Amino acid sequence: MSTQLLRFAPAALVAALLGLPLFVPDFLLFEISIAVSYGIAILGLNLLLGFTGQICLAQGALFGVGAYTTAILNVSFGWDPVATLPFAAISAGLIGVIIGLPALRLQGLQLAIITFGVASAFPQLLLKMDTLTGGVTGLATDQPFAPKWFPGSQEAWLYGLSLICAAISIVVVTRLLRGDTGRMMRALRDNPVIAEALGVNLTKGRLAAFAVSSALAGLGGGLFCILNGFISPQSFLPMKSIDILIGGIVGGITSIAGAFIGALFVVFVPGFTTDINPALGGLIYGLCLIGMMMIARQGIAGLRMEKLPAAILGVFKFKSSSRFPGAVPGQLGGE
Amino acid sequence: MVLFFQLVVDGLASGAIYASLALALVLIFRATRIVNFGQGEMATFSAYCAWQLCEWGVPMMLSFLVAGVLAFLLGIGVFRLVIRPVSTAPVEAVVVATLGLFVVFQALSLWLWGSDQRAFPSMFPNVGWDIRGVRLTASAAGMIAVLICLAALTGVVFRFTRLGLAMRASAYDGEKSLLVGIPVERMLMLGWGFAAAIGFVAALLVGPRLFLSPTMMMPILLYALASATLGGWDSPLGAMIGGLIVGVAESLGATFLPFIGADLRVVIPILVTLVVLLVRPVGLFGTRTVVKL
Repeated sequence: MSTQLLRFAPAALVAALLGLPLFVPDFLLFEISIAVSYGIAILGLNLLLGFTGQICLAQGALFGVGAYTTAILNVSFGWDPVATLPFAAISAGLIGVIIGLPALRLQGLQLAIITFGVASAFPQLLLKMDTLTGGVTGLATDQPFAPKWFPGSQEAWLYGLSLICAAISIVVVTRLLRGDTGRMMRALRDNPVIAEALGVNLTKGRLAAFAVSSALAGLGGGLFCILNGFISPQSFLPMKSIDILIGGIVGGITSIAGAFIGALFVVFVPGFTTDINPALGGLIYGLCLIGMMMIARQGIAGLRMEKLPAAILGVFKFKSSSRFPGAVPGQLGGE
Repeated sequence: MVLFFQLVVDGLASGAIYASLALALVLIFRATRIVNFGQGEMATFSAYCAWQLCEWGVPMMLSFLVAGVLAFLLGIGVFRLVIRPVSTAPVEAVVVATLGLFVVFQALSLWLWGSDQRAFPSMFPNVGWDIRGVRLTASAAGMIAVLICLAALTGVVFRFTRLGLAMRASAYDGEKSLLVGIPVERMLMLGWGFAAAIGFVAALLVGPRLFLSPTMMMPILLYALASATLGGWDSPLGAMIGGLIVGVAESLGATFLPFIGADLRVVIPILVTLVVLLVRPVGLFGTRTVVKL
């Protein structure tokens, strides 16, 4: 019975996503589209961190590179915003390869700190290059208007655009993870030494993973720029990279659906908690994060409904033995 | 030349701040293999407690002492309530939990004390000396002195006391330490407490320079992370030296490299760290880990 249902689940999900504009007010639709643009960037991080075992905390900066590519091509050269999206992905991918170069030598924590440094410097760099980026005033881009035959609202049209981008990125990532490339990536994550001994080209593999992940961040960024219609350095503060990391882990770092669940989490939950109590919004959000990690350690996508009560009870079980000693190689805490 | 030495002195003073926060981060990392991203915000929270005590008319030194003890208890509490329960989870989950601490403590300071900047009392008198044209203020000298005291104190505790030995043992190998009768959990708890207290000292040094605000420690945290990486994450001495290097490099670079200037100074610690890491991937004083298959 349940397997029968599961077979129809993807089709039902697609139908639900396509039908969403009929039931949801325009403003909410806009926020969902923004979440989808983040989801694409998070998907890139999932590919990099979850499947290749490399950390990049500059994902927010790469998101910004994509957004600024779209904006500059549109504002300075008059391109159609949608046509700029491939170039947003390519430019972010190239920058991503440069950021990935230290990753050939550094792992885990060291790599995290260096890439986070890039994320911190990015807004300052945007301000410095103000002839190109418009400095603090930012750049306002044209929005692609819905054609006359399209029955829905402008927001629904943009929502459709973001769904198409998301679908393309999901196809790219699933294709990559299937077959040889996917096996190579997982080998890099699980044990780079053995992988190298068996003939996997570490340099190529790592840089390729960085390129694809950054290109996805760039695509998400370009989409964000189109949806928002305006960008400024304020949109790409270092906290954005942290938000993307939180989204990836909360959603489930080795899951494709988890990327979009995580994006919905980081877009909507801070808003919800502020609605509960404006002064305490941040506090509730932080407690949410901590509580979430106590219950759903593999992220929301890894959560199994039947195990939920046990997981919640497990939080209060203080007598369990702890993991402390020993770092896990290739992961954030390890060397 | 006078300018150069002046910048070095200023750099050492701000380096002392980065070094103390980096020391707190490294102590926690060594003991529990966790990078506590909430360290800076926990320190800010304790500094607000100290400020509040001063406002209530408690003498300054006494209120700093009380707040220091509070910071210690805060570290222990955070370990018991947040870190213990997630300690068996994957590393990613622990990272998000400490990022959660960051959000929680920032929001808590914001909620209790608002976003207004407050003048924070300084431990040091407002005097200075001229040494051949280089101006050394009492606060700069005091900061460096505080750092040296911290260094000496941690060195002595870890090297010469039974407590320090037990803490080193539980950080090195938890299971074997448990077998020889060391209460590992309690040692880790103490480690978190000490780290929180050291972080509080860093906040005490920052407070008078930047005014007290809920986001005061955010930029400092990045510098401290860079310092700890530069020095090597498993070496307290490395963290302190790393902090001083980052401080001096920042101060010199912002003045002498015109294309970087004041607005891109955040790049400097990252560049310095990157250069050092490319030569020694584990940092200056880090120990190489041997990979076994």
